[in-house]
Amino acid sequence: MGIQGLTKLLADAAPGSMKENKFENYFGRKIAVDASMHIYSFLVVVGRQGDQLLTSEAGDVTSFVFEGKPPELKRAELAKRSTKKEEATTELEAAKEAGNQEDVEKYSKRAVKVTRQHNEECKQLLRLMGVPVVEAPGEAEAQCAQLCKEDLVYGISTEDMDSLTFGTPRLIRHLMAPASQKLDAMEFDHAKVLEELGLSEQEFIDVCILCGCDYTPKISGIGPTRALALIKKHGSIEKALESLDPSKYTIPEPFPYQEARQLFKQPDVLRGEAIPALKWSAPDKDGVIQFLVHEKSFNEERVRKALDRIAAAKGKASQGRLESFFGPAKIVSSTSGKRKEPEAAKGKGGKAGAAKKGKLGAMGKKK
Amino acid sequence: MFEARLVQGALLKKLLEATRELITEANFEVSNTGISLQAMDSSHVSLVALQLRSDGFEHFRCDRTFSMGLNLNNMNKMLKCAGNDDVITMKADETADVVSFVFESPDQGRVSEFELKLMDITSENLGIPDTEYSATVSMPSSEFQRIMKDLGSIGDTVELSVTKEGIKFSTSGDIGSANVICRQTNHVDKKEEPTHIDMNEPVALTFALRYLINFTKATSLSPSVVIKLSKELPVVVEYKCADMGYVRYYLAPKIEDEEEMGE
Repeated sequence: MGIQGLTKLLADAAPGSMKENKFENYFGRKIAVDASMHIYSFLVVVGRQGDQLLTSEAGDVTSFVFEGKPPELKRAELAKRSTKKEEATTELEAAKEAGNQEDVEKYSKRAVKVTRQHNEECKQLLRLMGVPVVEAPGEAEAQCAQLCKEDLVYGISTEDMDSLTFGTPRLIRHLMAPASQKLDAMEFDHAKVLEELGLSEQEFIDVCILCGCDYTPKISGIGPTRALALIKKHGSIEKALESLDPSKYTIPEPFPYQEARQLFKQPDVLRGEAIPALKWSAPDKDGVIQFLVHEKSFNEERVRKALDRIAAAKGKASQGRLESFFGPAKIVSSTSGKRKEPEAAKGKGGKAGAAKKGKLGAMGKKK
Repeated sequence: MFEARLVQGALLKKLLEATRELITEANFEVSNTGISLQAMDSSHVSLVALQLRSDGFEHFRCDRTFSMGLNLNNMNKMLKCAGNDDVITMKADETADVVSFVFESPDQGRVSEFELKLMDITSENLGIPDTEYSATVSMPSSEFQRIMKDLGSIGDTVELSVTKEGIKFSTSGDIGSANVICRQTNHVDKKEEPTHIDMNEPVALTFALRYLINFTKATSLSPSVVIKLSKELPVVVEYKCADMGYVRYYLAPKIEDEEEMGE
């Protein structure tokens, strides 16, 4: 999935591009969600009867569909708990239908077992709930990245690191992790990644391809660190391949890196005008009940409760963010004016709890 | 080299009590004009701005401006060890990675020194414009605290509306609704703080009560609180600290129209 080892590479080589944020930090912001992965992970969890995602017996599945997948709901619920009314237009990116596009199909190694019917059902449900849905012509992550580039959303939520390769300005991981896991969201900043790695966008794409992406086989013996070093030294895959000793590294056949590169640079996405307006609408209560309860035999009480939660969370007014009044925040670091030495960074590791208590006692100070 | 000696050490303890619920860590900026701090809570809805002027300290020395990253809960653990009458001295060196607190009991019988490790904190600061507010209300801080607490048991949000008549706090929840009006009080002879309303135009805004209740943790700092309101601007809730500075809280209002939500 995604780019192999990219997270670790970034953590080592570009730590400044990663930032942990509290979940609350994102309320009131529009986030594009890559649905393909979510639908897939629910299939994995629900497991066994993959083809009965929505039709399987109510019970647990209800809570999945309602609490897990449509992120808006989960966020709304959390937001409600902290009396912050959620209103962000989280828009659900329609999952790409596996194999409806020749190129993608040819290179896609991932076996998406989400059927067309799942996608249709999810989309229908989301639309009934008033969540805006965008159907990507190709890769969902690429479409998300495009939305973010056009500033329609603040960032995108996915676990798939190749969104960064697609050039999404902000990628947020763990946003959809269950609240019980207490994982902080991890935000990746594309501009900072390039800056800290010292690469151009083109070179970054090449590094990702060498690391092993969804569209090309991996060259055995070359991992993320090697890939970064090679591209830094040679500047492109072509030159890097030339420099490799053929007796040590076998370049897989075919190795369609040029096509992959093209795909990352010019993905098949909706642009500008073609993107439907991302607007929230009120949930269609009767529609949801009709769909889930009557067609898919969900427990009516649970569905109604969930609907009430959406209604309550969307409420009348939404909480504003300070930035919308005072302008964007300026980053200030505590190191300013002091601790210029390289070991300054060590303070960060010393987590909150590490603060040592001083010794109480007679220091024998004269006053 | 930074050194500041504060005779009323309890003030520092109260300041920390007033801020640590909202923010867990912050950069204290020290300069020759005093100590200041600005930090937002994790959801970026409210902001604390703190200012202590150097002239309020018995002794204040700061050779150059720098900022110290501190975990407020840990700082609080140490300050808790100071007696209410203790004189507190803060000391730090630009090159060291600790700040030390010295507590001296009034009779000089006990001197304790605590060292707190500094942290590297990247905080996000906002440039807050100086604005003329439509309405400025000054009222007894204990009164404000009580109203917030009372309304908090009924609803989630409160509408603050200022008219010539007074300031009105209204909320509603599942069980019902509540309205409290505080009128301007003129009698100077009374011991309690007066309620004073200075208004250019009527203004009404809605806020999350949870945050306002949190702000009232600063009540012990000052007998009166100043609330500043303007249409479509965050509310300012200000507590003066003993003639040497202030704690100001900013809270973004609830926005009625969803479509107009900006970044």
